[in-house]
Amino acid sequence: MNAPDRSGGIGANRFIGQRVPRKEDARLLTGKGTYVDDVVMPGMLHVAFVRSPIARGRILSIDTSIARDQPGVHAIVTQDDLARFNVTMLSFFIGPVEVAMTPLADGRVAYVGHPVVMVVADDRYLAEDAASLVVVDYAEEDAVVSIEDARHGPAVHPDTDDNVAAMMGEDEEDAEFEALLASGAHLVTQTVHHQRISQSPMETRGVVAALQGDEELLVHITCAGPHLVARWLTVALGNPKMNIRVVAKDVGGSFGLKNHPWLEEVSAILGAMLLRRPLKWIEDRIENLTASNQAREQEIILRAAFDADGKLLASHADYSLNNGAYPMGADANIAVHMFMWSAYNIPAYSFVSRGYYTNTAGLAAYRGPWAIETLVRETLMDAAARQIGIDPIEIRRRNLCTAAHQPSVTSLGIPREDITPAECLEKLLETVDVAAFRREQAEARKEGRYLGIGFAAYIEPTGAAGSIGVMTGELAQVRVDPTGKVVAIMNVHSQGHGTQTTMAQCIAEQLGVPLADVTIFDGDSSRGGFGPGAGGSRQGVIGGGAAIRAGRLLADKIKTVAAHLLNANPENISIEDGMIRVAGAPEMTRSLREIAEIAYGEPSRLPPGMETGLEAQIRYDPPAMTFTSAAHAAIVEVDAETGFVKIRRWVSSEDCGVMINPAVVEGQIAGGLAQGIGSVLLEEAGYDARGNPIAATFKDYMLPTIFDVPDFEYVHANTPSKAEGGFRGVGEGGCIIGPPTLVNAIADALAPFGEVAVDLPLTPSKLLAVIDGTPLPPKPMSRFHPEWVNPYADTAAATKTDGPVEEVPAGATLLPGGTHAALAETAARGIDGAWNLTLATPMGPQPMTATFATEGSIVRGRLESNEGAQEFEGTVEDNQVKWSMKVTKPMPITLKYDLTFDGDTVTGKCKMGMFGTAKVKGQRV
Amino acid sequence: MSEHKIELTVNGRHHRGTVEGRHTLGDWLRGQAGYTGVHIGCEHGVCGACTVMVDGRAVRSCLMLAVQADGCTVTTVEGLADPDGTLHPVQQALKDCHGLQCGFCTPGIVCTLAALTADGAQPGEEKLTAAMSGHICRCTGYQGIRRAIRQIAGTDTSAAQGAAHAEQGA
Amino acid sequence: MKAAPYDYVRPSSIEEACTILAEAGGGAQVLAGGQTLMPLLALRMSQPFILVDINHIPELQGVTSVDGGTRVGPITRQNEALVDPILNRDLPTLIRALSHVGHHQTRNRGTIGGSIALGEPAAEMPATAVALGAKVEVRSASQTRFIPADELYFGPYATAIEPDELLTAIHYPAWPDDTITLFREVAMRPGDFALVGLVGALTVEKGVIARAGICWFGMGPTPMKAKSAEVALIGQSIDTLDAAATADLAIADTAPFGDHHATADYRRTVGRRIFVRVLQEALNMRQAA
Repeated sequence: MNAPDRSGGIGANRFIGQRVPRKEDARLLTGKGTYVDDVVMPGMLHVAFVRSPIARGRILSIDTSIARDQPGVHAIVTQDDLARFNVTMLSFFIGPVEVAMTPLADGRVAYVGHPVVMVVADDRYLAEDAASLVVVDYAEEDAVVSIEDARHGPAVHPDTDDNVAAMMGEDEEDAEFEALLASGAHLVTQTVHHQRISQSPMETRGVVAALQGDEELLVHITCAGPHLVARWLTVALGNPKMNIRVVAKDVGGSFGLKNHPWLEEVSAILGAMLLRRPLKWIEDRIENLTASNQAREQEIILRAAFDADGKLLASHADYSLNNGAYPMGADANIAVHMFMWSAYNIPAYSFVSRGYYTNTAGLAAYRGPWAIETLVRETLMDAAARQIGIDPIEIRRRNLCTAAHQPSVTSLGIPREDITPAECLEKLLETVDVAAFRREQAEARKEGRYLGIGFAAYIEPTGAAGSIGVMTGELAQVRVDPTGKVVAIMNVHSQGHGTQTTMAQCIAEQLGVPLADVTIFDGDSSRGGFGPGAGGSRQGVIGGGAAIRAGRLLADKIKTVAAHLLNANPENISIEDGMIRVAGAPEMTRSLREIAEIAYGEPSRLPPGMETGLEAQIRYDPPAMTFTSAAHAAIVEVDAETGFVKIRRWVSSEDCGVMINPAVVEGQIAGGLAQGIGSVLLEEAGYDARGNPIAATFKDYMLPTIFDVPDFEYVHANTPSKAEGGFRGVGEGGCIIGPPTLVNAIADALAPFGEVAVDLPLTPSKLLAVIDGTPLPPKPMSRFHPEWVNPYADTAAATKTDGPVEEVPAGATLLPGGTHAALAETAARGIDGAWNLTLATPMGPQPMTATFATEGSIVRGRLESNEGAQEFEGTVEDNQVKWSMKVTKPMPITLKYDLTFDGDTVTGKCKMGMFGTAKVKGQRV
Repeated sequence: MSEHKIELTVNGRHHRGTVEGRHTLGDWLRGQAGYTGVHIGCEHGVCGACTVMVDGRAVRSCLMLAVQADGCTVTTVEGLADPDGTLHPVQQALKDCHGLQCGFCTPGIVCTLAALTADGAQPGEEKLTAAMSGHICRCTGYQGIRRAIRQIAGTDTSAAQGAAHAEQGA
Repeated sequence: MKAAPYDYVRPSSIEEACTILAEAGGGAQVLAGGQTLMPLLALRMSQPFILVDINHIPELQGVTSVDGGTRVGPITRQNEALVDPILNRDLPTLIRALSHVGHHQTRNRGTIGGSIALGEPAAEMPATAVALGAKVEVRSASQTRFIPADELYFGPYATAIEPDELLTAIHYPAWPDDTITLFREVAMRPGDFALVGLVGALTVEKGVIARAGICWFGMGPTPMKAKSAEVALIGQSIDTLDAAATADLAIADTAPFGDHHATADYRRTVGRRIFVRVLQEALNMRQAA
């Protein structure tokens, strides 16, 4: 863990790499933290929501008359009251969401828990009393709950044609690629069904909002980054004529949930503006488990062809992701495919990826949102090892990307220069004696005990900046106060990450001051520079880099000032433990405070032209991607009587570059692994067929306890990255590599009984079914599937009333002869002119304007978007238009459009090079 | 709805108040008495974040009414460190061992461990760990909590690995 | 997640409590330790008009040896019971089951009587009362009556205790000193309700089973007494006992349901296995002794 000496001769390596205790802990251990529910304002009122008890339907009436008259009630707010604010709900990418969405339900409800009415009262007890007295009448409709429901069922949203929220990749079978897959000696198929996960931060969502006159809206909110929330709110509120200041001191975990405000927080903020009173809404746990956005409900079928030597030839993935009703950006999760084989050598990869709307809580991020790629790939590698008859380690050795394969670029454009998954695997094997384990396993099996070992390897992108607009660089502002104390304002933001310690380590090391003298302030959008906060394992890489550079800049100034004052050569000045020393002249030692007092108060004593004070700021933008690599091993025992899994050992071998604080690094890995264990064995935020959540409390949503998580062992490789400081991110990795490691160990333990279907969570019931060879009850077929038979058919026929029944006029089904030509003519005429188009890109919908002029079979046009304008020429056939154009942003690719016009609407697709195909829709201007 | 006068001692200070019959002890400690170190994590008795000591025993403050604490002595996480800031041994162990990240579940864990080790009691590692089944931590994977328990129980001196750096640190 | 309003009352005697219950006409809810009731109140699944806190009634507290057995006051806290010398001496089966109830923190408030009176079918205390042949003493303003534990439960949280009645004691019959405890709980995590639970007591005289009380928990809508197995066990020699056949009988007396934690088949299969294992281990220990 030796950091390279980058500190310019001032006390190198005193803090970076040290396992120092965290500076924030004394505050948090004595109950002196400030979480959002600890914020109290004069005149503050409390919010409770009336939520939909049904998953899908129309609101027939809302009667607030009884509730309004309850003691302590100040207001009963519906969407009619909030409509005046014209809020635009935005995705994480600060783009408008794809479907009509209002903070409170507007005529329809789309999931159980959908907020319909907001009650404002003197306290939460009274607010809930009144909420229970609001009478809402609904016309319930059949809910679209599962991905399978979404494929066959009616559209969740009235403003979409189907339930495909986002689509990428090749949606038509490619015979050539299929032939390629079939050409290998072995074709291995792995299917993963991943359950829905609730992020479950121990602190639920919450907000306190108050107007400060007309110039400022103050929002205390538990969030991942106050600046990003301020940015999101400013755009969502239509750039109001006031500053939106967002403050979040201590945050009790986020894990992807608190990236930006959603329906409830926005409602409460608008309520505060409407009533001109401070409002507080603190989500309770039932709301958190049922109405907060969730993650991970997905299915994937991965196929991989291997040659006779077990080397990868080609692979294809078919991936589906439940977006729920209101995802924080419709998502086909392109990152799954970008990183599917990024740690391996494989010549060809193809995919299709779809996100589906359903009548369930919407999709939010969760630690390592693309993690299913590692789960399906690493479980496939083990399945392949069993199928081909190679050792699971050997099959990885033959296919992992090693130093010899670098630099190289994957087929999806991922550049690899310094990834080390193969090296991590080898280091892991120095710690885990596999041969000894296999002997123990064989002995145990004779006694009817089933031990298993599982391995997994991966790389993950961390510290990204510049490739996604909202993920920016970081600014660090550092000053030495006239007191000699060091203060830094940063916009990294801890939800438990310990950045008040790690950033202080970076700065103290540069400045040569005691760690206790450095204080980091963050958590306030009114201070410092813009930074999005936590997300994408970015804070160590980007914040750490900014802290080092700002610290170095300030150290240089201190040395310049001191050299001038002491009449010494700056190169002979060092700062040690807060004292400024001149080499060879101990009598000239001065305290930092003495120098600082002069720097601020006695400008005449400074070098000519120098700005007073000891302050520095710098913005740091890291390389586009910094990769962290890892390989893990877990050893489990599965109780063949009960199907329970006991984890006996777990070794992490990771390479996150230079470590700022190994204890913080290990804490991040361990926390992620615990979440991975939870997703494999315990957690499930499921729904019944009607869309009712089945896990509304922590009794049913089972988080891992201390008894479910073993002691982890760590092996650290420390290959410095190209980022400042040599850091690599480590926030998400455990949650990505944990699940396949554990699944593979369980599958290895149960190999004598057969394959273990990866249908998470692997409950004791499912594992016992494998052990006993007894089938599980089949999953019920979607009620919207064409082959579904209603078990209650007799009664259903009599009572089924939902959905309008379309009457088809007699004779309208067949067009008379000759109509086709007439239709074509109408279509051509219908193409010319200006159209508003929306391209569903992986970053969210991109609005564009297009003009078309047709001439016979040729079309010429012009396409304008925020990225610029471009002319094109293409072909027309009937009402179908096709053209190609090259773009350079965000990367050089060729776009191939294929649009079909129908009256005043247009639909179609755009093939975007390696990103596959995206949907296009639009209307005539 | 009924209102009740209560008198109790919290962290050594005498408190009087009027509470509604339905107010939980946790809500009262936070809202009326100002002890916001009591964290409400689930309100149904599973997560353990709201755990406080009532008459020396660790209990869920969401599963006890404020009116039921009438006449009791309550200690919250705010009442454990010395007035000069010296941390309680349980707090110190958790700090030494990186036993917390976001800190939201931490006050409850501190109160359970403090209650079990009060008055010189020396429960072993096993008993302390068993009591942790009543606390959920979403951040740490329990690694530092387990090390802290070993430090408190005296079963593993290497658990204090971090403490060696404490002097040069914060 | 805040309870609906109610009047809180704190009677200081059984009579006072019974009068309140009688006058409430079914609108009252008794509060003992509150570790299960408080969440139900917070969820507004229970919305009484009056909450009757019985924690200040001294007669309801404590453990005493009585003629023919042990009387346990319903508000005896679970953690107090765990270290109670009488219970540890006379009812080791109860102690064994108690150590699996909830968590340390909830056992500091939770009571034996509260758990029995609520009747959660996957909880340890109701099943233990059934297995050991306890009877509960209930009082109303007009009468005192005794209900055998195996007649107490009708369904989840549904008991034979009338709304105007207060559970005032649990009477556990004496079991001989050398009684064997049968206990196994399969739960997702420590402190969770059981997926499969088995509690019982066996006495053996001269190598022959003389008395058996066995009950399942988590295996049906109520604690499920393994009546057929009990009958079959009595009179059997521990040397020739067919544990597997007995387990089949025991499982026949269950009615498990499936949920997202475990299927009904799982509960039956594992129930049968743990029955065989627990019985065999107990008998092996007995034979060795």
